[in-house]
Amino acid sequence: MPVVYVNIFLAFIVSLVGLLIYRSHLMSSLLCLEGMMLSLFVMLTVTVLNNHFTLANMAPIILLVFAACEAALGLSLLVMVSNTYGTDYVQNLNLLQC
Amino acid sequence: MNLFTSSIIMTLLMLTMPIILTSASTHKNKSYPQYVKTTVSYAFMISTIPMVMFLYSGQEVIISNWHWMTIQTLKLTLSFKLDYFSVIFMPVALFVTWSIMEFSIWYMHTDLNINHFFKYLLMFLITMMILVTANNLLQLFIGWEGVGIMSFLLIGWWYGRADANTAALQAVLYNRIGDVGFIMAMAWFLLNTNAWDFQQIFAIEHENLNIPLAGLLLAATGKSAQFGLHPWLPSAMEGPTPVSALLHSSTMVVAGVFLLIRFYPLMEHNKTIQTATLCLGAMTTLFTAACALTQNDIKKIIAFSTSSQLGLMIVTIGINQPHLAFLHICTHAFFKAMLFMCSGSIIHSLNDEQDIRKMGGLFKALPLTTTALIIGVLALTGMPFLTGFYSKDLIIETANTSYTNAWALLTTLVATSMTAAYSTRIVFFVLLGQPRFNPVIIINENNPLLINSIKRLLLGSIFAGYLIFHNITPTTIPQMTMPYYLKMMALAVTMLGFILALELNSTTQTLKLDYPQNPFKFSIQLGYFPIIIHRLLPMMSLSMSQKMASMLLDMTWLENVLPKSISYFQMKSSITVSNQKGLIKLYFLSFMITLILSFFVLNFHE
Repeated sequence: MPVVYVNIFLAFIVSLVGLLIYRSHLMSSLLCLEGMMLSLFVMLTVTVLNNHFTLANMAPIILLVFAACEAALGLSLLVMVSNTYGTDYVQNLNLLQC
Repeated sequence: MNLFTSSIIMTLLMLTMPIILTSASTHKNKSYPQYVKTTVSYAFMISTIPMVMFLYSGQEVIISNWHWMTIQTLKLTLSFKLDYFSVIFMPVALFVTWSIMEFSIWYMHTDLNINHFFKYLLMFLITMMILVTANNLLQLFIGWEGVGIMSFLLIGWWYGRADANTAALQAVLYNRIGDVGFIMAMAWFLLNTNAWDFQQIFAIEHENLNIPLAGLLLAATGKSAQFGLHPWLPSAMEGPTPVSALLHSSTMVVAGVFLLIRFYPLMEHNKTIQTATLCLGAMTTLFTAACALTQNDIKKIIAFSTSSQLGLMIVTIGINQPHLAFLHICTHAFFKAMLFMCSGSIIHSLNDEQDIRKMGGLFKALPLTTTALIIGVLALTGMPFLTGFYSKDLIIETANTSYTNAWALLTTLVATSMTAAYSTRIVFFVLLGQPRFNPVIIINENNPLLINSIKRLLLGSIFAGYLIFHNITPTTIPQMTMPYYLKMMALAVTMLGFILALELNSTTQTLKLDYPQNPFKFSIQLGYFPIIIHRLLPMMSLSMSQKMASMLLDMTWLENVLPKSISYFQMKSSITVSNQKGLIKLYFLSFMITLILSFFVLNFHE
């Protein structure tokens, strides 16, 4: 397996760990989500360009579109939480429903 | 022969002189009103020459002057038709206008714009003359629209008053609806007979004339305030009293009847239109007479009286007697204008009081006005051998002895008795009894302008009927023999109306005022017609459009259907379905542990 793939795969793993393990701010997990998306994008682009999958040239762009949508969704959820509590501390999302 | 045409042309040209001389700024002169009045009086005297010549020799004249244009096969000229109707109507109209102008010098003498007022009156007179002497439909239409516009300008004379503007607008709108009928008739005649000249239209034999005659009937409904297009006439009393006397009693409102009279050769053979005319006229005369019974404004009562008499004229056309209708037009002009002038004299004397509940006891205070009012009322109701008798009694006799619609006949008779009733009401409340007005008023009718004009019309009201009737050429033979009771019918119902009204008025004067009952409410609110047509329809359309724009579009489609409903649904369902406790870090950690565990298990097994 070429080294570049290993590199990018490692970047993906690091972002994934950052998404799942965080201290208090919800924003940091959203940022790690963006990092995951970025590494996926790079991997997809490198694969398609190296193997000359010409017909798959659209795939990275489509990936970008969907990633933008999910980022917007995540941000809107963050804004809703922040509207209710004033901060985005994760410990706010506990049993007290409103 | 030469004198005929030259005197007619001189009459018509003389009337336009004061308007043309505007460029020489005679209209800023202080004695411009007197100048206009003398012009009209000279025009009247000159126009009696053609009338006498016509009555002596029976010669009709058509003056065809100026060829305006030819549109393919239609030749448009300026032509005047001086036949029986126009030659007799012109002196009558000019006489009445002369008296009204003299009256309005007195009535409007404190108005700063009196010159302007007289210019408007003169322009109205000119357009009326154009209408009456027109030989083709285009010229008639020019006169028709001209009197409509002058009516608008004169009703809204005191334009600072919101009610006056509303009334003027109402007049224009209702007349416009009638104009649709007129234009339809013009279009039909153009398409089917290729002419707008009366001679050509009457010479051709037509098959089915229902469409143009219905259009002309609609035009007459609009202009002469028949039922359906009638509310503008009582509202038009917002204008000054000379305007009401000239336009809305003698001259303009008879334009619609005059149009129907002009087309009598076509209407003679069309039974459908005759029946429609008859029923429309009967409906109008009954409805407006019923509304006049409870009005409290003296000018409105006289306006409704005008409307009722117009309905009677339309009934006369409906029983195929156009010449009788024309006779009634001429006689009606005299006493109706005089009634308006008397009411103007009373209003001015009582310091602009128009409500008859606040008048009374003027019998000794205004002797000439009282005399004129009583004689006018008697002429209106058809007292034998006064002016109204010669036309009105003949109409009722002819209706009684003709093969006609029984319902229309009955309504006309009931309306005749109601005429007597509301006339008695006017006399009772205005002249008799104790005074009910403010004590500090100067009651003075001692002005020669007022006295002379009322006296002239008074003489006309008494003698004009006799003079006209015995000098015109008899056209349709009146029915000479009829049963005793039919001959007395008109007189009997009038007497009935007088006695009933007098009895009711005098006995109920000292009773306690009771809560009004349904017929009273129907009558005093004009049959609810203006309320429904003027208020209900606009309110419904405006509220419907408001509901559609704000509730339907804004709130429902743009706001509620997709966004709000989706969010509401999601929130409700998530609350019902979820039983989570929100421990996100724990959940993410368990996700992580599962990934690592699965990585190890799936890769490092033996």
